[in-house]
Amino acid sequence: MTSTIETISALERQLTMNVAVAQVEREVGERLKKLSRTVRMPGFRPGKVPMKLVAAQYEPQVRGEVLGDAVQKAFSDEVESHKLRVAGYPKIEAGEAGASDVMAFKATFEVYPEFEPADLAGVRVERPVLAVTDAEVDRTIESIRKQRATFAEAARGAQAGDRVKIDFVGTVDGVEFPGGKASDFDVTLGEGRMLPDFEAGMAGVAAGETRSFDVSFPAEYQSSELAGKTARFTITAHKVEEPVLPPIDEALARDLGVADGDVAKMRSEIRDNVEREVTQRLAGMAKQRVMQVLVDGTEVTLPKALIEAEIDRLIEAMKADLHSRGMKDLDKLPFERDMFRERAERRVKLGLIVSEYIKRHNLAARPEQVRKLVEESARTFEQPFEMIRWVYSQPDRLAEFEGMAVETNVVNWVLEHAAVEDVAVAFDELMSTGRAS
Amino acid sequence: MSTANEQKLMQVLLAPIISEKSTLVGEKHNQYVFRVLDRATKPEIKAAVELMFSKKDSQIEVTGVSVVNVHGKHKRFGRQMGRRVNWKKAYVTLKAGQDINFQATE
Repeated sequence: MTSTIETISALERQLTMNVAVAQVEREVGERLKKLSRTVRMPGFRPGKVPMKLVAAQYEPQVRGEVLGDAVQKAFSDEVESHKLRVAGYPKIEAGEAGASDVMAFKATFEVYPEFEPADLAGVRVERPVLAVTDAEVDRTIESIRKQRATFAEAARGAQAGDRVKIDFVGTVDGVEFPGGKASDFDVTLGEGRMLPDFEAGMAGVAAGETRSFDVSFPAEYQSSELAGKTARFTITAHKVEEPVLPPIDEALARDLGVADGDVAKMRSEIRDNVEREVTQRLAGMAKQRVMQVLVDGTEVTLPKALIEAEIDRLIEAMKADLHSRGMKDLDKLPFERDMFRERAERRVKLGLIVSEYIKRHNLAARPEQVRKLVEESARTFEQPFEMIRWVYSQPDRLAEFEGMAVETNVVNWVLEHAAVEDVAVAFDELMSTGRAS
Repeated sequence: MSTANEQKLMQVLLAPIISEKSTLVGEKHNQYVFRVLDRATKPEIKAAVELMFSKKDSQIEVTGVSVVNVHGKHKRFGRQMGRRVNWKKAYVTLKAGQDINFQATE
């Protein structure tokens, strides 16, 4: 069997393979003979069907199988002997044979790119740091109290944070508009849930007071009839209530799950929680920065097959997500492949870079490391051992944890080898960023 | 268009019978086995086979026809007795060297 490999573009290769006809014919004959011993046909005892009839019925199928196997084998032999790393699946088509006793096949495929991962010597990575101090703990307690605030009537003008019960009527050019009227409506000032003009108009309103003011709707308001218009609102305040924060005492501690109501204990528990959360988020942020550095610093041509496969995966994931939220008729939804292209490219690139690092610097996940991760995540379950066994019983479940371990390894390696600059982040900023994935 | 007579002949052959026995006689005596109309006669069967399986370049010649009247089996259906219909089987001998390819004919 002879074959040639052509390089079409940076990553595309075309492999021309020849398969000897005689060999295929022999194989087909052998398989048919084997088949004729088991084939059932009405009018014949099993195994007594004449060869001619068996061939007539099964030959095309058997021939296809034999050819497919032969081509597959030829292809994988070639790939092996040339040490190619094929990305995605090859596209195989019949080619023109040079001689009558061979059949030619052309396989077009892509190989994984060879590339130099980002040189880390001159790269600066910003590592976010934040030490949890009493101030952060206080801030957290404060926000817990705010969530548990109760409202008490106040005999004064409304100010930010107050809850005001009002009736309101809104008119545009003297005409009421739909949704522009409500009674006994609770407005909490300073939360930005109402239009700014509305909140400004309400500032200082006292119980029993009636006021009129203009509210201009922003141009991009969701209701097109109102967008950009100015409406006149007349409101009547019934009640002004001010928030009362629960005191830091035993009751609050009990409420937060400290059984004996020890305030100091509550404080230390909150501190632990905050510290855990901060560590996790810092790690997530550091990971994101490191990955960004890797993506930015590496130049690599991406195999199209991998990107397409990744797009498929993203669309599948999106569909599954929508499905779990109760969307129906998913197949009818138009999914623009290009919508996912950029993300897919980034993910493929990252995947390639990370696996390159793993290969070069021996960063593969160690079993004990994976074990630790699994145990950690199992701790939140009621029966940790069941959970651990469940994870270990399926390779793909374990793979998820291995992926996590590998990512941590890569991030740590980069942080060790690049110039790391510690940058302090503000507590609020850190907490407001979504948990990094 | 075919004549009225040809139309009639086209109704004669009902189905080829392909079984171990039929392939055996086929190989031994160049015979082909058909299920035919009950009332078909030997000359009709001969004409029908020659009409249906001749191609432009090769005229089929039938050298002999033997027929068997197959009696329908008695079958019991619960308490009732039933009877399958009788039918006629024809062994058609072709001139040596000629053959019929059932898979190729429509």
